[in-house]
Amino acid sequence: MAHYDVIIIGAGPAGLSAANILKDEKDVLIIDEYYHHGGRLLGQLYEESKGRWWNGMAVADRLYRQLDDKVTFSLGTSVYNVEKEHSIFTVYTDKGHVTSGHLIAATGSKENASPMPGWELPGVMTVGAAQVLTNFQRVAPGESGVIIGINPLSMVISMELGYADVEVRKICLPAENKINSATPKEALETLLSLGQSAPSKFLAVAADIGNRLSLLHGLALNLFPSKGVKALGMPISIKERVVRINGTDKVESVTTVKTRADGSVIKGTEKEIACDFVCISDGLSPVNEITSLFNLKHVYMESLGGYIPIHSEKMETEVANLYVAGNITGIESAKVAMLQGEIAAHHVTGNAEALKEALKNIAKERKKATVKFHKDVDAGREKLQLYWLAK
Amino acid sequence: MTRRIIEHKILGSKKSPLIPFIWNGETYYGAEGESITAALLANDIRTLRYHERDGAPRGLYCNIGHCSECRVKVDGRENVRACLTPVRENMIIVRQGALPHLVEGGGHDGAL
Repeated sequence: MAHYDVIIIGAGPAGLSAANILKDEKDVLIIDEYYHHGGRLLGQLYEESKGRWWNGMAVADRLYRQLDDKVTFSLGTSVYNVEKEHSIFTVYTDKGHVTSGHLIAATGSKENASPMPGWELPGVMTVGAAQVLTNFQRVAPGESGVIIGINPLSMVISMELGYADVEVRKICLPAENKINSATPKEALETLLSLGQSAPSKFLAVAADIGNRLSLLHGLALNLFPSKGVKALGMPISIKERVVRINGTDKVESVTTVKTRADGSVIKGTEKEIACDFVCISDGLSPVNEITSLFNLKHVYMESLGGYIPIHSEKMETEVANLYVAGNITGIESAKVAMLQGEIAAHHVTGNAEALKEALKNIAKERKKATVKFHKDVDAGREKLQLYWLAK
Repeated sequence: MTRRIIEHKILGSKKSPLIPFIWNGETYYGAEGESITAALLANDIRTLRYHERDGAPRGLYCNIGHCSECRVKVDGRENVRACLTPVRENMIIVRQGALPHLVEGGGHDGAL
């Protein structure tokens, strides 16, 4: 049975960045279920500022190349259990088990499921699935699609579909049910939070109204055209909901209804939109199965996306030598994940100077983040630190 | 119809060599390095499996290994997640189907 100084679970931005810091001093093994390094960097593509693109595939390759073959990879490998005994971690995988003195859980996030009638039909997928197909696999998810769910991720991916000339016929909200209660107000807040990225004339005006009168006043919401607006060529309807997805053995159309500003359905407004694929998007939540196997506390933080293992800002957990990094600690950008991976690794090597520097960098990165996955993410992080100190 | 995105206005062009694989006894071609889900979708195949209980068609859903909707039989091994498995030359992939109802006397749909 092979033994390593450090095992990293997850070959995404956090895991690869941690490995880069550790590669010269420690024996490192990185495990990932996917057959390619990069995690959810694979597929990311957006314009950071005029003419400057974030290409997740290129970033993944850069992070991989800088490891210089000094790190052992076990891709296409599933971890099904982890134990710690006498300060040694044992990681059980479908290819046998391995041990280590330190463990970094960089397992990332998953998309939340938002069921609705017809969602099991072939052709219905998460927005993330469409993103990986389009940008990484380079296979179009279909000819024309409907996006259900208005949030930062669905908006970014809708634009990415456009770059690949895949038609998006409608972006709107899901039907209200016990699981999904998205409202036009939240959708409008999302659109406004995209700021620069949503230069539609209407949205610019709405943002202005929002600034002066506050969104709660409801004016921007009432003025939002019920047939939707075109922003960056995308047909966005915050006052329209998909009530079901139709088709016999694959997606053929969706049925939508119009709603009022408060999200309630207007009778007699049912309409069918033909499409051959549908993306459902209901946000991301941390993948915490690995940390859940240990005796450590997880707290539910809506602003961070779900149940988070409590951890210090240096990425330590309640279990000695077990670290977390990336979206398992809350939903933020890949850049934050990369810095978190570095911080965990600096803690492992005991490099206090570098750790301090990385903490400064992450504060800077968070401050300038253009798209936030949740408006209260900063408050959530602060609260989490209180949980850690009070543990 | 689904198509391969050979030219991309930001990512540039990408053309990978095609390799043959077998899906339900017929030969198809996939691009080297792509997942089974991508290879099948590029051949306009969306139904990857029929549901074990009622035989309803199912396709890929999350495409990153979390939902297990895309499970297929690969080279004799059942319940392999197609989205996590790169397509290989002459790989034999088979669609899985409904399972027989082993318990008698239940409801018409197999429920007890």
